[in-house]
Amino acid sequence: MLVGAFACAHTPQLLVRPPTEDRELVLRVHAALARVKARITALQPDVIAMVAGDHVEAFFLDAVPALAVYAGSECEGTFGSYRYRFPIHEPLARAVVEQGIERGFDLTYTQRARLDYAFYVPLHFTMPSPPVPILPLHVNVYLPPQPLPGRCYEWGVALGDILGARPERVVLMASGGLSHYPGTDRYASPDFEWDRRLLEQLESGRGRELTALTGEELDKAGNVELRTWITVCGAVGAVRAQVYCYEPSWHHGNAVVEWPL
Amino acid sequence: MSGETHYRFPPAAAYQLNRCLYSIKSDAEYCARFLADPAAAMDEVGLPSDERVGLVPIDRDALVSRGAHPYLVFMADLRLRMIREPGTMEHF
Repeated sequence: MLVGAFACAHTPQLLVRPPTEDRELVLRVHAALARVKARITALQPDVIAMVAGDHVEAFFLDAVPALAVYAGSECEGTFGSYRYRFPIHEPLARAVVEQGIERGFDLTYTQRARLDYAFYVPLHFTMPSPPVPILPLHVNVYLPPQPLPGRCYEWGVALGDILGARPERVVLMASGGLSHYPGTDRYASPDFEWDRRLLEQLESGRGRELTALTGEELDKAGNVELRTWITVCGAVGAVRAQVYCYEPSWHHGNAVVEWPL
Repeated sequence: MSGETHYRFPPAAAYQLNRCLYSIKSDAEYCARFLADPAAAMDEVGLPSDERVGLVPIDRDALVSRGAHPYLVFMADLRLRMIREPGTMEHF
């Protein structure tokens, strides 16, 4: 069953802060993530299923899946001196692959791939103690052509149905966003107004409207990663989001939200 | 997607260049080898000698204009700085 749904920023500057980043802002985002950790702890999940956009880490140009499920026994990722290793909830991973395929989603699965920081940065701050297994769910966000926002929503609807029918207590978490343009001329000019309109939509339970967005619109708004949030919107339907924080830095709209189920 | 987007379809001709940037970003041992001997590290990924401009130091515009993915340029540069300037970072 689906017991909780969240979306978290994952910018690596939350983990390793260069002097360019406002320390107080970083700590406020940490505080919002601590609230998520407390909520997840209270929800007593058996597994955290994370929908994250791969930053060309698990999948390079040798193969670029639109949607992928990590169905190995464990996964590992490193970032500088940080080392992460998480067990995978194998029965749930297999069920999601099999039932996703049966529902018409031509999923890729992998049993060995590097874990992207989009997964372990939020988990660094939100994993309950003792830790629970995870289920990484990849969405291609950075290598065009990416899956359409509407398709991500449909995948989320299917995911919600699959997870909802399972015996495990599942927390579903989107990782990503909001507006930022890493590596481009617009890096220092995120579209904060676009983000604020988006958060108003989510607070009023209108996540389904995001299916009308095009890939070009997401790119223009610095929100290619919103595909992960849209996927979770499909799983939670018309539930109204609760915004834990929106902290715009000089290059990034840091948002943390919960959809209370 | 149109040519106006921030992130574009990576041209196949830039595969080795993107492989080099990806390896700096994602492979700590390669990153160390790149810092020690950039030319040898570029040999490893089969980057032709006439396509090496803009990697030392990282010149984003030069690399992106040749098909490098902007995100890979960004993170490769960050990883190199994390090694060169470790004392400036606060770890949580």
